Order: sequence, then structure tokens, then C-alpha cells
Amino acid sequence: MQVHIVRAPVSEGMRPLMEENYRLRHKIFVELQGWDALRRSDGRDVDAFDNEDATHILVTDGGELVGGSRVTPLNKPNLLQTVFNGLLHGSLPADPSLGADWTRFYVRPDRREGRRRSPESAALFCAMMEYALAEGFSFVTFVSSLSMVEHGSSVGWRITPLGAPATVDGKATVAAWIEVSEQALYNVRRATGMSGALIPASALRRRQLGAISA
Amino acid sequence: MSTIETLQGQESPEGVRAVVLATIRDYGFEKFIISGLPDRGVDVRPFVLLSGWDPEWYQRYTGLGYVHLDPVARNCFTTTLPFDWSSAPYDREADLPAARVMDEARDFGMDQGFCVPVHLEGGMQGVVSLVGRTDWLNEKERLELHMLALYAHGRLRFLNTMGVDGRRRAITPREAEVLKWVAIGKTASEIADITGLSARTVNQHCENAQKRLGTNNRLHTVVEAIRHKLIAL
Repeated sequence: MQVHIVRAPVSEGMRPLMEENYRLRHKIFVELQGWDALRRSDGRDVDAFDNEDATHILVTDGGELVGGSRVTPLNKPNLLQTVFNGLLHGSLPADPSLGADWTRFYVRPDRREGRRRSPESAALFCAMMEYALAEGFSFVTFVSSLSMVEHGSSVGWRITPLGAPATVDGKATVAAWIEVSEQALYNVRRATGMSGALIPASALRRRQLGAISA
Repeated sequence: MSTIETLQGQESPEGVRAVVLATIRDYGFEKFIISGLPDRGVDVRPFVLLSGWDPEWYQRYTGLGYVHLDPVARNCFTTTLPFDWSSAPYDREADLPAARVMDEARDFGMDQGFCVPVHLEGGMQGVVSLVGRTDWLNEKERLELHMLALYAHGRLRFLNTMGVDGRRRAITPREAEVLKWVAIGKTASEIADITGLSARTVNQHCENAQKRLGTNNRLHTVVEAIRHKLIAL
């Protein structure tokens, strides 16, 4: 299994994978989970936040896309503070520039079968925390069904609700933030049996260079 | 919200028990259980994360395999939403074992309750079940209890994996090293050559690990060591 960090500008080689990502997202979030607001006739889930500020964390196995998620900045327009604003009652734990919004988490449905902790989801959890630490974030927000609270707690993450849970489209939903720390990375690695880093150093270095030139 | 923070700071199942109990009392509940749900015919006891039931009922329920008859436990496999025990469907006329479990529970003063199914990855199923009246709970309180239940379940799973509670006996680094070689098919003499230990010491490490893990043979030891993430391949 391999973790890819994909950001704008998306290289020629990464475009097919991103295309697959958008199609798989549509299949999962619209067709399987019934999130109708995202439905598009071209069968691709692409929204306003899939812009040049978004980072996509994708997991492939044998060249096939098996899972993904998206990290977007909180100091620019974001999903949390627009679409899901109704779930926010408290304030963020720190300045928005110190955090990021974690969205569109998915594991390809056929990889969720069988009685085991899916390694795809373990890789995404570990990679997200690794990425957030490397980027210097101190917290990561998410909006999800309440079960995310269980999954996050079970890997030793400290998760604080940003508001009371509410029923959205028949599902108990909550907005919350995850504390980003070395301890959180250590815990998720230990709980999932992941032995080390997943994100290639080159993926992070490129970002640093970009930041300097910008 | 401060309950959630306190809960996440607990370093032992007993600590989690105290926080959950103190919190559910505010909602009128007195007892609870937090457990995984096993496949049909499998003993539930290794799956129990925390029991706040009467010891007598716990013995009876787990010892007699009631988890496989209980309509409340069965209903967890069919819904993702929390539900009242009274709404767990079963045919009282035709399903006599289910009726018996429900009747006996009533005799133990457990005739009403609130059940939160927990869906884990890979189709695994867990449950947090609170004993007490539910008719006066409003939607907001149900959501709060739902969230509390999931935090408690997650925290217990975490403590379990990390072995913080000391219930799982770990193996020594040497034993882990030897088991890793066993896992990839090396014989005792091959492992001796690789590690510089004597074959006799290699065998001794395997036997010690077997004792620590309560396993029956070398294969069983390796399987358990992998399953509990004591060794990584």
C-alpha cells in the first residue's frame, strides 16, 4: 500500500489518480451514502473546496486507488464554516491558520469487508496525522457521523466536539477537532500496528520549497 | 462537554467505568455494559470491555450464551441508530428463548434500557447498553448519550490495544524477536544461527511466550502475538 500527497499543481502523472479519486468519491458519497447535494451528471464529486489549496491524501494498492481524504485550510472558505456551520457552537481551539479541515474520508467499499481493521483506513488515519504534524498544524477539524468519535478515540486521539451532536439527514452528526501531536501520531501508529512513516519525504519537501518561493 | 474530556483522560477501564456511571446517573440510568458482539455460538466473555451489571446476571447472561438469544443484542446487527430495548423486535409467541431472556432480565430489574450499537470496521459489532427508564429522554439527551457511549467504547478499545490496564501480558523483546522468525517459517536451529542464541534457548523463549499468552502451541502463539500486535511482520 502506498500513500500519495497530491496538491496543485497536479503533475501529469497524478492526473489519472485524481480523476479516479473524484469518481470514487461520487460513487461513495452520492450513490452509496446518498449525499444528494453533491450529485453531478458527470459522475465526479468535485466541489468548490477542491481548489489549489486542497491537499489530497490518497492510498493505492497495486496501482489501484483504495482510499482517500482531503485536507483544506481553515483560514480560507471551507466546508466546516459554510455547509456545516450549524453544527458549530463553540470556537476553534486556536487561530484558523493553525488548523485544517479533514473532509471526504473514504475507503473503497470492497476493502471494508471482512473481519479486520481495514489497513486502508489505518493508513489514512496515520498519514493524516503525519501530514498534519509535518505541516505544523495543531488541530484538525472534521464533520462526520458520530461513529468517527469512536474510531478516533480507539486510536488514542483526543477529540473535542465543536458543538452538540445533531441529526442530519437521519444520521447522528458532529463537528469536532482532533488534537495534533507527537503523542497522537505515536498512539495511532501503535493502535493500528503501523511501524513508521507513510508519507515520502519528497512530498513534504516540495511543499516547503513552494512556500518559500510563494 | 467536560465529561468527554474527563473520559478521554482515563488510563484504566475502572476509570472509564466511574466516569460513565457518574454521567449516566444524571440521565436516570444505574447500570450499563460495554461489549463487542461475537459471531453466533461464540463465547461473549472475551468481548466484554466493561461490565456494570449485577454479577449474578452477568454470570447467567454470559455463561448461558444469552447474547445469542437476546433480541436487544440481535437488533444491534440490523440498525446503526440507538434504540430502546422495548423496540427490539422478536416474536414472543414463536421465539421462546428470546422471551425467556427478556423475562429473566425483568426479574433482575432490567426491563428497560437504551442501547447504542457500535459499528466497527470490517463488520465487527459492538454495543453500549444502559439499564433504566427511557420514556422521558428527549432527542437532545439521546444524542448526548449516543456520543458518550461512543467515546467510552473508543477509549476502552484504545486502552485494550495499548494494554494499559495490564490485563494483557506482554512478551519480552527477545521473545518477540524469536516469534517473528517463527512467523516467517524459520526452524529453531535456523533462528539460533540468525540470532546467535542456542537452539535450546530459542525453544525456551517460544515456550515462555506460549505461557505468557496462554496459548496451546507454537502456531497458536504466533497467531495471538500477531493478533495483539505484539509482533509486526
